Amino acid sequence: MTAFPAALLPLPVAIPLVVCAAMLATAHLLPGRLPDILATLTALSVAILCAVIAARAADSPLVYWFGGWEPRDGVHLGIGFSVDEASGWIAAFIGLLYALTFLFAWGFFDRTHGHFHILMLLFLAAMVGFCFTRDMFNLFVWFEVMSVAAFALTAYHLEESALAGAINFTVINSLAGFLMLGGIGLIYAQTGTLDFEGIAAAVARGGRDPVVAGAFCLAATALMIKGAIVPFQFWLADAHSVAPSPVSVIFSGSMVSLGLFGLAKVSAVVFAGSDQVQRTLPVLLIGMGSFTALLGGWMALLQRHLKRMLAFSTISHAGIMLTGIGALSAGGTGGMLIYVVGHGLVKGALFMIAGILLATRASIDEIALRGLGRGLGPAGIAMALAGLLLCGLPIGVLDQGTRLVQGALTQQGHGFAVAAGAIGAALTGAAVLRASGRIFLGLGPDPGDEAGAPSQDEREKANRPLWLMLAPCCVLLALDAGLPASLIEHGIPRAASAFMHRPAVGAFAEGPAWLPWASVAAALVGAGYGLFRKRLPAAVVRPVSVTQSAPTRALELLHSGLIGDYAAWLAVGVAAIAAVLTLV
Amino acid sequence: MSPRARIALLVLAGLVLLPGTGAVIAGLPPFGSTIAQYGERINAITPQVRHVANMVSAINFDLRGLDTLGEEFMLLAAITGTVVLLRGRRGEGNTERAMRRPGRAVIPRSDTVVLVCRIAGPLTALFGLYVVLHATVTPGGGFQGGVILASATLLIYLGEGYAGWRDTVRSHWLDAMEGGGALLFTLCGLAPMLTGAAFMQNVLPLGTFRDVFSGGLMLVENLGVALAVTGGFTQLFLEFMEETRAADEPDEPGEESA
Repeated sequence: MTAFPAALLPLPVAIPLVVCAAMLATAHLLPGRLPDILATLTALSVAILCAVIAARAADSPLVYWFGGWEPRDGVHLGIGFSVDEASGWIAAFIGLLYALTFLFAWGFFDRTHGHFHILMLLFLAAMVGFCFTRDMFNLFVWFEVMSVAAFALTAYHLEESALAGAINFTVINSLAGFLMLGGIGLIYAQTGTLDFEGIAAAVARGGRDPVVAGAFCLAATALMIKGAIVPFQFWLADAHSVAPSPVSVIFSGSMVSLGLFGLAKVSAVVFAGSDQVQRTLPVLLIGMGSFTALLGGWMALLQRHLKRMLAFSTISHAGIMLTGIGALSAGGTGGMLIYVVGHGLVKGALFMIAGILLATRASIDEIALRGLGRGLGPAGIAMALAGLLLCGLPIGVLDQGTRLVQGALTQQGHGFAVAAGAIGAALTGAAVLRASGRIFLGLGPDPGDEAGAPSQDEREKANRPLWLMLAPCCVLLALDAGLPASLIEHGIPRAASAFMHRPAVGAFAEGPAWLPWASVAAALVGAGYGLFRKRLPAAVVRPVSVTQSAPTRALELLHSGLIGDYAAWLAVGVAAIAAVLTLV
Repeated sequence: MSPRARIALLVLAGLVLLPGTGAVIAGLPPFGSTIAQYGERINAITPQVRHVANMVSAINFDLRGLDTLGEEFMLLAAITGTVVLLRGRRGEGNTERAMRRPGRAVIPRSDTVVLVCRIAGPLTALFGLYVVLHATVTPGGGFQGGVILASATLLIYLGEGYAGWRDTVRSHWLDAMEGGGALLFTLCGLAPMLTGAAFMQNVLPLGTFRDVFSGGLMLVENLGVALAVTGGFTQLFLEFMEETRAADEPDEPGEESA
């Protein structure tokens, strides 16, 4: 029999499953708004349950054995959930993000008799299961449920671009599933167990073993594909830009960062005993993360399709999170966990603003929308604020995460990674600020013919009042800016240590205080350059355009949208990880 | 990237991966040498503690029941997703009646086909039920039996024609079966918690080893899965069938008969 707080653990997964099964069974009977109400309440209850669990897990992680199959004689027979404080809070954040997304999407999905809510609730249950599980195969099951639910959600609009984006997403993420399954097969063959702790013990006993390294290579690749790390990032921009805005909120706000969350957990818990893996991690993760941060930021700056811009900014920030994991310290991982929440809040708000523009102004093209946002003042303020937060304005949760990641990296002398992160964040902030200046203030040159967007005509249903769409967006931003810093500062050292199964440590180092301001300044300069390039003297403009045009064109060629290219780059990525693993 | 460059890149990556792959294969336990400790342990204890002869069912529905619950909902997500995408294009309004393509000939069935289907259909359904019910004794179970049951409904289509099939098989019932089955499976997890046991703990009487009624809760879970799979797969057939009758597409002569 399981005692009270631990007995709650299955509920945040089981409740959305029960609701979505019941909704499917009675789909055609449900009157108009009932699916909206049910889904919102379910997501809220998941958030509350997870918060209770997280609060109870503060002292020691809660463990739950399904079917009552507790380990016997050291052999793990069944599947267990093990929830530490950090995993619990991440799950609570995801529940809250879903609840706000359901509010944002009120009535948006009424065409399909609640089928959309069914898929979203499944998606939610899978994410919570992914956070809670301590079993390698169970992790894979939730990973796959997430993918399957996401494929259909991406293609919802059924336009050609939506279908193409969904196909790329499906193929690349299915490859991720295969790789992960392969990795699990290898680690099971070698260690004879699927439980995190069991594998960790066996790995620690085994010494240097190519099979363990191979398993890590495959599992880490799969999780980095989900986390959109270069060179596995291609699917993300294609999928996030075509998915319905409420779905993009979930994708960018939680799904991508959850891949990296899984990577952090697997490398800190399962492969903690493998010297080879632990020596590889800093080189690999910090290298790939820095590169991803820069490339994503640069690509974001090049976009005029707002959602595609936000998608590339997600890639850039995923890179920053990866450098946090690569620091291999409780400070870096703790910073990354806070970053996941902060980034999810800000990016969720930004995708909601994109949705508001799609619904009320029937366009998503930055140039075509120039000046059209004038009637939407609050949305403009929200977008500018989100842009500033994104590039590092020193307020709120995202900033706290950034400081901790930077602190951990500085401590270990990875100055390059700190710089790459700051530049990447500044670039994404510049892109968002430029877009908000152009759309809401009408800044920048009159586009003339250029206003005709090369992309398809896009719009979303405008069947809900503006305030209903703005409210959840403002709640997200208020949460990011308003969560008391002392609370997080106090809790994170303990939570991060428990997450990594390490003894507790004191306070964490923080990055230099001037760095966020430098990022903000760089972002403002970048945005200003984008808007007022025509008014600047040629001596300033010419060198910039000469040096950046060739690499920019090359980058755009790389993002070809062809699935064969993406798969080839994926293979290159796997080979690179394998090479680093063998050389270290 | 040109196709040639793409293949060159792939080959290059493969070459880099080759030594590592070789090392991994060499490092694995030799083929057939050992059964992992986990599997050995399960084989040893399951017949005694669960009275179940089919070890696969014991793993799927008891020891690792949560994985199967996840897989069940993965199937549900895949089917719901397919339905959303296919219906989204056609419109929700016309799911109730059989669509007919104008200009497509309705070829009457020969009596032999009708007779064979009328005999084979019920037999197939019976066999499906058998596979579902004997989940804990012989190979099979809810997933396999459910697929067999769903193919039995396809024999109605073969024998009675599309309109006849649509008259017997109602889309809403299929939704109800699929969702209801999945709900039953999830409730099998939650109900034991009311008695103070763990999620999906096998609290029902376990029955006799090698008897149809052995395995306790596993039997109920199998019924749930069978319901969900039957409903889900039939729903899938129905949606794809409707898709071939979508009105807005250009005529494609020589396509399958009605």
